[in-house]
This record gives sequence, C-alpha cells and structure tokens, in this order.
Amino acid sequence: MADAVNVGVNLDAFSHAISGVHALRSSVTRVFECLRDGLKYRDSIETREKQFLHEFQEHLQAVNRDLNELERLSGLVGRPSESHPLHNSGLLSLDPVQDKTPLYSQLLQAYKWSNKLQFHAGLASSLLNQQSLKRSANQMGASAKRRPKVQPSTLVLPPQYVDDVISRIGRMFPDLSIELFRPNGTSAVLLVTLGKVLKAVVVMRSLFIDRTIVRGFNENHYSQDGKLDIWTKSQYQVFQKVTDHATTALLHYQLPQMPDVVVRSFMTWLRSYVKLFQSPCQRCGRFLQEGLPPTWRDFRTLEAFHDTCRM
Amino acid sequence: MICVFSVCQVPVVEGKSVQQTVDLLHKKLEQLGAVKQQGSFSVDCETYHATATASGQPSKLLYVMHNSETPLSCMALFEGGPCLVADANFDVLMVKLKSHFQNAKGHKVECRGSKYRYSDFIIRVGTVTMSSSARGISVEVEYCPCVVPGDCWNLIKEFMQSFLGPSVPELPSVFAAKPEGLFVQADCIDTMTQYLELFNKLRKLQMPGGNVRV
Repeated sequence: MADAVNVGVNLDAFSHAISGVHALRSSVTRVFECLRDGLKYRDSIETREKQFLHEFQEHLQAVNRDLNELERLSGLVGRPSESHPLHNSGLLSLDPVQDKTPLYSQLLQAYKWSNKLQFHAGLASSLLNQQSLKRSANQMGASAKRRPKVQPSTLVLPPQYVDDVISRIGRMFPDLSIELFRPNGTSAVLLVTLGKVLKAVVVMRSLFIDRTIVRGFNENHYSQDGKLDIWTKSQYQVFQKVTDHATTALLHYQLPQMPDVVVRSFMTWLRSYVKLFQSPCQRCGRFLQEGLPPTWRDFRTLEAFHDTCRM
Repeated sequence: MICVFSVCQVPVVEGKSVQQTVDLLHKKLEQLGAVKQQGSFSVDCETYHATATASGQPSKLLYVMHNSETPLSCMALFEGGPCLVADANFDVLMVKLKSHFQNAKGHKVECRGSKYRYSDFIIRVGTVTMSSSARGISVEVEYCPCVVPGDCWNLIKEFMQSFLGPSVPELPSVFAAKPEGLFVQADCIDTMTQYLELFNKLRKLQMPGGNVRV
C-alpha cells in the first residue's frame, strides 16, 4: 500500500524541497526583521538610508532565489498516484470519530497482525516438517481417490489381542503392575502402578498410546462418579514434569508397524522412574534443582537427569 | 494424605533471641524462593501420668498431642510404646478418666509458627514454648509427593542443608526403628513421635535435674 503511494514521489527531492521551504521561510523572516529594525545609526542620514536600502535589496533577492529553488525542487518531487490504493477499506478512514469508532486503525492493526501470524506459521511449519511426528502408517498427501478405503491393520485390533499384549507386558517387571479398563468403548485405559512412587493413567487407541497422565501414589485417581480420572493433572510439580516427559517419550518411541514393541519400550522407560526420589542427577550430582528431583530419563540409557541438566 | 515429614530442632543462633533466629530462617527461606502460606500451624502436647500402679513400677507417661494440620484428630502416645489416633473428643474422654490419668498441668508444650511452600515442599518453622517461655525452634519439612521415607531422605536432607546450613541431623530414628524398615509408608504418628522427641529434648535442656517427672 505504501509503495503505491510512493511510486510517483521522489523521496530525496522531497526532503530537499522541505529544506528549501525552511530556507525560504528564514529569508522572508529576515526581510521583516530588517524592516522592523529600521535605520541603523550611522554618521549621516544619507549613509543610513543607503545602507538600509542596500540591505533590504539583498534580503529581497535572497527571498527570490529561495523561491526559485523551491519551485525547481517541487517540480522534481512529482505527484502521488491519483488512484486510491486503499479501495473500500480506505473509505473507513475518511470520516473518523476516533474515540468512538476507531475502525480504520483497528483494521490496520488486525491486518498487520494476521500478516505476521501467517509468516511465523509458515516458518514454524517448515521447521516442524523436518522431523516427522506422524505415528500412523498412512501416507500423507495421497489424493482421496488413491487413499486406501480401509484403515491400516494395526489400528483395528481385536480387544482380546490388546488385553493379551498388555498382560504380558505387565508381567515383565515385578514392580510395575498394569490394570486395564475399558470405560469408553473399545479404547483401553491402563492404570500403571510403579512401586510406591507413582501411578500413571495411559489412554490407548488399539495398541497405540494416545495420552498419559502421571500422578503421585497418594493422589486420587478416580473422579467423583467412580470412573478413572483421565484429565485432572497431578497437584505436585514433580509429577506434572514427569507427565510432560512421558508425553515426549510416547512421541519418541514410534514404530507404526509394531506397536507392541513401542508399548514395551515405553513401559521400560517408565519403569526407570521407580527410583525417582533416590537417584541424583548424573550431570550435576545433586538431588534437587529448583525444588525438583531429576525427572528426565534418557531414552536410550535411562539415566536420570534434571530437566535443566539434560544434554 | 500421607506424606513424608521430617522434624528437626534448630539451635538458637549465638547472641540472638529465639524470635530473631526465627526471622533469620524466614528470610533464608524467602531468599530461596519459598512462598509464605496463609495462616499458621500449631502442635501441642499435654502430659498425663498414670496414677498408682500396683507393682510400684514408675508410672508411665501418656502424651496427648494435637496438630492443626489434622484438626479433627487427637494422638495419644506412650513414650516408646503403643500409640493411638483418635477423634477430637478424646480430650473429653481424658477428663472422664481423671482417676486413672492425672494431667501434669505445668508441662504443656506448644509449638506455633508459620508455613512456607517451595515447589513440592512445605516448611513449618515454629517456636516451642513451655509455660509461655520460648524454649527452642523446630523446623518441619514435608515432602508431599513421596510416601516412603527411605526413598527421599537424601532429597529432604539436601533441601534442609540449603537453608539450615551443613549441620543437619540424620535420618529420624522413628523411621529407622520401624520393624518393617525404611521402605514402608509413613504415618501421621511418625510426625507426632518426632515432635514428641523434640519437645522432650527441649524439656530436658532446661531442667537441670534431667528428670522429666513432676
């Protein structure tokens, strides 16, 4: 919008023209000052009058010069384009009552904001696309005709099979026990108890882990109507952090073709939290950092780190 | 809710009064980033002694304690012996049992102070008073997310060292003395036992004879 206005305007000549106006103004002021001061004291009247006339003439000539200069410069400046670049939105600016209806200024702000948002969203999507976070086996971008009409086999598994896999994993470790519920249809919800340290609620979608919430051993895991509470966050900061890390973990462990391996790896990782309060951080050696024990467990080595200490 | 509590006594700083030391502790906690909680807490303890046992054994002392964190309960403990958690009406029952248990009126100990919260820790700094004279300072640290004392003792110790300095007492004997070991869930009785030990220690400090009996 600004460019359309400037295309006919020479900004350089514009600034020169403005200084030309200043010069003209000052020379005109000098003329009037000279008139105001009148005759200066000299020896004889003739000298006084001659000097006065001489000065007056000089000042008038200066005014003339400046005026000519300004006319030349204003010729160079050019005209802004006549066509109204703002179209309909510009009509809003024509008769503003700024206090009561600041429509045009708000419109401009909204426009600038949405432009910035679009720009940042573009940057973010290009960064995020670099690392694929898709967990299903579907191919993205296939046209509607070519997309398979039937869902991939790993997403439709008989509940009995899911139960079997989960119970087998539950028997893997002695201090980790898993209870399976199906409160809402066929999706399984697991209550994982880890020693006396924590209890995690894991919401599944067939054999894929969808969400998880980690809460303390002594907290209430059931909502008021007796069902398993899958939404309320833990009231302790340490378990809120562990929930965040667990969510990162379930995004990290991905293998769309073999979901039972994924669940097994996730449970192995979760089991490393049995010593949540006992292990010092492997990097700084301390137990506490900002009041929190080491809550991060490395995905490969299962070593304990503080959230701020992890590499 | 069951959490792990640890109670320890803080010695009064040389040349300062009890109140000044408490203020110093408050300031240290605030520097650490703890936030002061509304209201105050209080723990009190009354001593009763059992009257006239037939076999001439020294009469056992019964301590009845209240904690403002569990306002509806009342805890009764024999020193080193069985303990009981009862309803608040237990006090009335003790009045009715006047013939068997005599109240040692001058021995009431009270601990009152303010609470601070830092991340998942709750710290209660209290002034211990006996017959309205300040005898000492108690600091109780509660780590809420953990229920097993053996797990998080090192954590609590590190936290206490950060504001109390390097001289921090060892694992409270009440946890070590349990027959099942350190890794069983903590109890509210454990907290009260720790307070009782603290009160007795402070009582002995002031009395030259070292004899607790009236």
